Amino acid sequence: MEQQAFLERAIEQYGKATYNFAYRLTGNDADASDLTQEAFIRVFRAWQSFKPGTSFLSWIYRIVTNLHRDELRRRKGRFYQEEIPERAVAPIEDYVEAHLSEPVSKALAGLTPEQRKIVLLADVEGCSYQEIGQIVGCSVGTVRSRLHRARGQLRKLVNSNMKSSSS
Amino acid sequence: MNDTHPSIEHIVEFLHGELSPAEDAAIHAHLGGCSECERKRSEELAIIEALRRYGNATAREMPAWLPSKIRTAAAQSRPGAWQRLVAGFRPMVMIPAAAAVGLAVYIGYHNWHHATAPTPINAAYYVNNHAAMAASAPFGDAAPPLTLTSDDAPR
Repeated sequence: MEQQAFLERAIEQYGKATYNFAYRLTGNDADASDLTQEAFIRVFRAWQSFKPGTSFLSWIYRIVTNLHRDELRRRKGRFYQEEIPERAVAPIEDYVEAHLSEPVSKALAGLTPEQRKIVLLADVEGCSYQEIGQIVGCSVGTVRSRLHRARGQLRKLVNSNMKSSSS
Repeated sequence: MNDTHPSIEHIVEFLHGELSPAEDAAIHAHLGGCSECERKRSEELAIIEALRRYGNATAREMPAWLPSKIRTAAAQSRPGAWQRLVAGFRPMVMIPAAAAVGLAVYIGYHNWHHATAPTPINAAYYVNNHAAMAASAPFGDAAPPLTLTSDDAPR
C-alpha cells in the first residue's frame, strides 16, 4: 500500500533525525519517543498533503515543534531534562565531547522552550532562517529577532557556567 | 551595521551564512582589519561549535522498538468505514450542501406556488361593466367590436 510505503520510507530516512530533535527539545527518552511516534502518525494520516520537492525534514520538524508546544501547554511547565548520559562503554572521544559541551548543555537547559527550539534549529540542526521560519511558523524577521535574543541569553549562561566550572 | 563596526547580530548572521553577498563581503573585509570584531566573531563561533559538539554528543539511535510501535499505532489510527462516512459530514461539506438543499426547496416551493390555478375572476362583473360602458359610449375606444370573427382571434 502506498501510504504504508510512505511511512516506512519516512521512518527509515528521517526516524533518527526526528527522534534526536525530539530528544533535544524534551531532554528525555520517554517524551522523545512519544513525540516521535505521534509525529509519524500525523505524517501517516496526512501523507497526501506532503508536496514532493519540499523538505520532508522541515515538515516533520514543524509537526514535532507543534506537538511539543501543545504538550508544554498541557503540562503547564517543562519536560523533565536528563543530564547528558555517560554511556557504560563510552569511546573516549564521546566522553571528551560530552564534557566539552557541558556548559552549553546547561546553558541550553536554562533557555525558555521557545528560545531553545530556535537555537537548536539554527546551530545544531543547521537550518537556514527561512527553514526555521517554516518550522516554527513565523517570518524570517521574527526568526532573526528571536534568535538574537536567545543567543544573547545563551551567551550570558555559557559565560556564567564557564566561570562557575573554572572556579 | 554601523559605519565602523558590525553589530553582534550581523556577526552571528555572517557565521550562519544569512547575509547578502555584499554585506557578507563587507564584514569579511572588516574582520580582516579589526581585532576587536575578530575576537567577537571567534567567541560566537566557539558557541556555535560547542552547540554542534553538544549535538554530536547527544546524538543517539532511535530505540529499536519504536518503529514497530509507530507502525502498530499508525495501523490503528487508520479510519474505519463509519469514521470515513462521518468525516463526510464535516462543516466544509455540510454548509454548502445545506445551502444547496435550502435553495432547491425555496425555488421548488416558489414555482409550485405560482403554478397553481389562477385566482378565479368574477366574469359577470366585467361583462356587465363592459356592457354599461358600451351603452354609454358606443363608439369609444373601449367598445369592443360588435361581433367577433375568427380574424379577431389572437394568433
